[in-house]
Amino acid sequence: MTRLYAYCVGDDLAAETVEGASGVAGSPLVLFRRGPLAVVASPFDGKAVPATRENVLEHSRVNGLVLARTTPLPFRFGTLVDERRLQEHLERNEAALLAALGRVRGCVEMGAKVIWDAAAQSEGGGESEDEGPASPASPRGAGTAFLLAKRRALEGAEALKGRAEELAALLAARLEGLARESSVEVNPAGSLVVRAAHLVARGREAEYRERLRALGREREDLRLMLSGPWPPYSFGPQRAERA
Amino acid sequence: MSDAELILDEEEELSLLETLDHVLDRGLVIAGEVTIAVADVDLVYLGLNVLLGSVETVNRVLGAREQRLEYLRGLKPGGEGARPEGGR
Repeated sequence: MTRLYAYCVGDDLAAETVEGASGVAGSPLVLFRRGPLAVVASPFDGKAVPATRENVLEHSRVNGLVLARTTPLPFRFGTLVDERRLQEHLERNEAALLAALGRVRGCVEMGAKVIWDAAAQSEGGGESEDEGPASPASPRGAGTAFLLAKRRALEGAEALKGRAEELAALLAARLEGLARESSVEVNPAGSLVVRAAHLVARGREAEYRERLRALGREREDLRLMLSGPWPPYSFGPQRAERA
Repeated sequence: MSDAELILDEEEELSLLETLDHVLDRGLVIAGEVTIAVADVDLVYLGLNVLLGSVETVNRVLGAREQRLEYLRGLKPGGEGARPEGGR
């Protein structure tokens, strides 16, 4: 059964943007229009989309093609749907999609991952040496030592969480007046402590990179991986549900 | 392989990981309609790992990847049917 593989949706997509272009599996791109919305899609035969490097890059390339003209809301890789279901989805979510498209209009998504050596920090984490009166000779020694170790682990985790939140705030301060919206996930458990996406007006991508590179030069304990411009993968109407 | 080629490969891998991070874990979802066939188990594994990994972890994963690819080449790669819910 032929279904549609969906790449992105917009409210100002022009037919010539996709004319003559192809997508996943070499199928021609089409515009599926319903009301004020249009979805860039291509026919796909099969039950599932193989998650190959080639297909992932095709998905990204097609969305990049559209992003060169306007700012759509991209679908997640692997969105395969029949026409009736797609029509229902567009009709049911029209208001939310239009609102989200309005928010991202004229913008692109930029990404920053902040990498920080959490393991080194927790080892030298400055826990208190005042561990109370427990001694190996005490009958409570083993239990006390266990609880103290537990306490240290909890304090370490709290310190990492605090540090990660501090980094998120630092990013926000550096991007003040530049990032129209932010989506920041803090992950203090690993070395990658902040995974941030920012909505930035077109034409200001270089400024974004420059501001964060300056932060990287000032803070040698941080490594920043910057990426973009992307279509706004992180700023769709489902964003609130993800939080 | 020269150092320059090695660096280029790593950059390409990290660029791919960034792409995976975006397209596999973010973006609009039509409920129940994200269907991924795991034709390349390793690719999805890498994509999901980058979400929680660090550069060090990613480098380690890339090293392990070579070993896994060797192993998978000796088997038939995973076929269609598995359906990770397009995310973590």
